[in-house]
Amino acid sequence: MKYTQLIRLLVNRELTLRYKRSVIGIGWTLLNPMLTSLVLWYVFSFVFAAKLPSGQQFAPYLMAGILLNTFFSQGLMTSAESIASNGGVLTKIYVPPQVFAISAALAGFVNFLIGFIPLAVVVYVSGQTISLTFPLAFLVGIFLTLFVAGLGLSISILFIRFDDTRNIVAVILLIMMYLTPIFYPVSILNETMQNVVHWNPLTSYLEIFRWAFSNNATPTMFSWVYMIVSSMLALLLGIYNFKKYWPRTVAIL
Amino acid sequence: MALIEVNNLGVTYRVLMNKSTSLKELFRDAIKGKARVVDYVALQDVSFTVNKGEVLAILGRNGAGKSTLLKVLAGVLPATKGTSKVSGGIAPMIELGAGFHPEMTGAENVLFYSVLMGRDAKRVKSRIAEIGEWAGVSDHMDFPLRTFSSGMVARLAFSTATDETADILLIDEVLSVGDSEFQEKSKERIMKMIANGAAVILVSHSPGTVKELADRAIWLEDGKVKMEGPAALVADAYEAH
Repeated sequence: MKYTQLIRLLVNRELTLRYKRSVIGIGWTLLNPMLTSLVLWYVFSFVFAAKLPSGQQFAPYLMAGILLNTFFSQGLMTSAESIASNGGVLTKIYVPPQVFAISAALAGFVNFLIGFIPLAVVVYVSGQTISLTFPLAFLVGIFLTLFVAGLGLSISILFIRFDDTRNIVAVILLIMMYLTPIFYPVSILNETMQNVVHWNPLTSYLEIFRWAFSNNATPTMFSWVYMIVSSMLALLLGIYNFKKYWPRTVAIL
Repeated sequence: MALIEVNNLGVTYRVLMNKSTSLKELFRDAIKGKARVVDYVALQDVSFTVNKGEVLAILGRNGAGKSTLLKVLAGVLPATKGTSKVSGGIAPMIELGAGFHPEMTGAENVLFYSVLMGRDAKRVKSRIAEIGEWAGVSDHMDFPLRTFSSGMVARLAFSTATDETADILLIDEVLSVGDSEFQEKSKERIMKMIANGAAVILVSHSPGTVKELADRAIWLEDGKVKMEGPAALVADAYEAH
């Protein structure tokens, strides 16, 4: 593909620039989810650990949730922001703007993959083993990349047009985080809330991810269908919205 | 052979008056009936062709539509009327150094900028040393760009942008980069590209530069062509105006 080299450079830039002036650099990508997990584990383990179905472990449950949620929320924000922040380039040199949104989502994917290392450690420390279904964890990452890129494309247009969409998206992401079973088991919720959480697409991605990695969840057929359909829908909608609204948006960039 | 063909080109911006940049303002204005959309005509009925090896200058005051025209030719901005056909590789020299990042090194920036312009990464890597040398910043290529002086950044950007020749050059006031020695050197490089058959569109405020480099010129005013003809003639009329 014509833009592979550019995408590679953009992903690289996204991954390294964030930590350019830090001492351990990209090591933060490893340390970040570990520290967050540690804090949440310390706070919640004695409340929620016993509520998980037997055979499931709280530590990998928590960390898988944090990794996936970081990928989603950080990826979506940078992807949606990427086109506005590269306006200086896009108004001078012809590059399909979608390249920037896709690269940001891919950078989130790479961060997610790096997180597999500490997650594997936690899996073994808590007495589990990595399942044979492990490769499917990559598949979840790919579907989530498409989901993030699609949503990012749609939102990027809004980001350029209205300054306050950033705040709105930040609030929505926070709500979505609490409506995803990251640090609590679904069983502690009442029936209405269980339904809401069930229809949150991220729940499906997360269930499959936990199951694929170390058999730490029980996804259903619905989870699979919902994951695939939501990612395809988000992608198609993103491509469509972007194509439709970009010509009017580039004029104000 | 015409490399650039522009026919009845028109660009209209849709401008939201009182500029509601927040959703709250937009709702408020919509309720009060204040969200008026006004069409701003940036370009109207512009037609011209540029042949191989020919230099067309675009003269005009700020806001006359020069930048809009270059953006359309660069493929960055869609035309709302008419057509613009550009056949060949474009080197857009519009505000050089788009995409430069202060935290990346000189060499990294050269690579990124070149790939943005569609060049092959592998080939660029073998050219980096030479690009740095031509810009006179060889010793600094491995340092972050934030340690460069603004003149050094501008020279590096020019050196990178012109490292490969292209069929079509879109030049926007970039020949005034650096000291007079560097300006001579840059002019020479551009002239060489023209001699090799590039089609050039040169945007300039300076009638002197236009007379020296261009064959023909177009004088834009309020988005319309006010005068078109031999460079010297148009430049003199523009100067007298």
